Amino acid sequence: MRYKFAEVIEKIARKDDKTVFLTGDLGFHAFEKLRDNLGERFINAGVAEHNMVTAASGMAYAGLKPWIYSIAPFVTIKVLEEIRNDICLPGYNVKIVGLGGGYDYGIAGPTHHVLNDVAIMMSLPHLKIYTPGFVEDLENIINKIYKDKSPAYLRLTKAEKNDIPISSYAAVRRITHGEKLTVVVFGSIINRVLPAILHLKKNMVDLWLVSEFPLLIPKELFDSIKKTRMVCVVEEHVQTGGLGHHFNQVLLENKISFKHFIHLYAKGYISHRYGSRDFYLRESGLDKETIAKTIESLI
Amino acid sequence: MKDSLKGRLRVKLRERIIRLASKTPTAHPHIGSCMSCIDILIQTLIFEMKPQDKFILSKGHASLALYVVLNYLGKISDRELEKTYFEEGTQFGIHTPGTLPKDIPLATGSLGHGLSFAVGLAKAYKLLQATNITEAVIRGALPRVFCLMSDGECNEGAVWEAAQFAGSHRLHNLITLIDRNRLQAFGRTKDVLGDGGASAKWRAFGFNVVSCEGHSLKDLEEAFSKVKKFKNKKPNMIICNTIRGKGIKALEGKIESNYTAMEEQIYKQALKDTQNL
Repeated sequence: MRYKFAEVIEKIARKDDKTVFLTGDLGFHAFEKLRDNLGERFINAGVAEHNMVTAASGMAYAGLKPWIYSIAPFVTIKVLEEIRNDICLPGYNVKIVGLGGGYDYGIAGPTHHVLNDVAIMMSLPHLKIYTPGFVEDLENIINKIYKDKSPAYLRLTKAEKNDIPISSYAAVRRITHGEKLTVVVFGSIINRVLPAILHLKKNMVDLWLVSEFPLLIPKELFDSIKKTRMVCVVEEHVQTGGLGHHFNQVLLENKISFKHFIHLYAKGYISHRYGSRDFYLRESGLDKETIAKTIESLI
Repeated sequence: MKDSLKGRLRVKLRERIIRLASKTPTAHPHIGSCMSCIDILIQTLIFEMKPQDKFILSKGHASLALYVVLNYLGKISDRELEKTYFEEGTQFGIHTPGTLPKDIPLATGSLGHGLSFAVGLAKAYKLLQATNITEAVIRGALPRVFCLMSDGECNEGAVWEAAQFAGSHRLHNLITLIDRNRLQAFGRTKDVLGDGGASAKWRAFGFNVVSCEGHSLKDLEEAFSKVKKFKNKKPNMIICNTIRGKGIKALEGKIESNYTAMEEQIYKQALKDTQNL
């Protein structure tokens, strides 16, 4: 998604000369055009993420609109205190962009993955989280983030081709209609859930995609659960503090009851071996085949 | 005339710190650090800074010294400071708060953040001036950004990330000051991780470096004059040689100066000592 991301950021920066872009020395073969066109407003802040985060907050204080970019764990876990103290507590308008949510970096290994970013970032004040499920969502999301003055975290992943027509962007939206099971998916793992349900009969799975936190659940999703009474949450994030926990809390607060609540989530590093994103997804039971089996067993 | 005013201020603001610190039987106000940097704050905020300039107290534990200076400048009222300092619900944290964003742009306390914020701010002001933005904050003189760190704080890795950024972006509108009292929380800087206020380190990172006696306002004034004469577009560092607890004889140069409460006996003696600065 970084190519599309660069294209949209460039459009914004052309219109708004207060927009500045800082990267933690990443963007080879993707941000060259952005760098050339933004000139002084494109800053390679170096492999120095602690400084990049807090320097961006200084820039926001001065009236600029900084976006900071790196591989997801390097702009979340690594710099948590800077994000909390210098961006979130004062509520400065800094946009944090992390590439490679979940197991996206595959064989690069656990140091380049982030499986607990929602848990961490949702615990911070004033911060909103955005995760596109499809590359087609990215422009809407970036424009939404840009218009909002709050700090934001954008969790990017690699774009995958999608042949299924999708509804227009919303923070939480329905992807397919169904009567038997409500499936709620966080972000780009949608690209493993969709193929898992394609062969099923029509009107079985009511599939929803969540792209933003804090959760604002539409009435139609509550109605879906009231009807199916069967919920399956799928996310490429650890069990603690992700969509499953947050969604369960929302259902409790809204007194929505259900028969089953099944949670498919990232289980970390079971074999301690290295492999592709799909290798890790298989270990966690988040691959297309296991998701399909789980869903079939519920309908 | 000006020198005698400055002399009086050094005594008066020290008295104020001691009196306010005596409101608590605890050592929270970090009296030693406040006494170490109060002269630097007086010269910087009262005599050097222009209205468009910004100041970041990176060593946030010396917040009480900053409060008394901001009070002198009329930015914090007497009533508010006297009535609420160390009371429940006060906005005057033991570490600098986020509730006075115009005068305290960043709430600090965790060390190693201030210089990064300052370099971002200095870079932003340069960009805002260079790009001639319509609603520019910058009209006229380029704002300068002042940042005061402690020498112990230079243990933090982020300080050196920020230093590299300042050097490579040639932030000549950045004036960093180090309160070099050679003590940190639990040891002498030379015995812990070395001297963060060593001129050679900062020169190697691309700074103009000036050293001065950090309790002499005249020396500090001269240091600022020297900084203004540099035309090489490098960021600036003023190493201020200081004594922790300066002005309270029993605490001067001692680690325990940051762990001493202003209880009656030491409080009375401290007030007497400040008269003989």
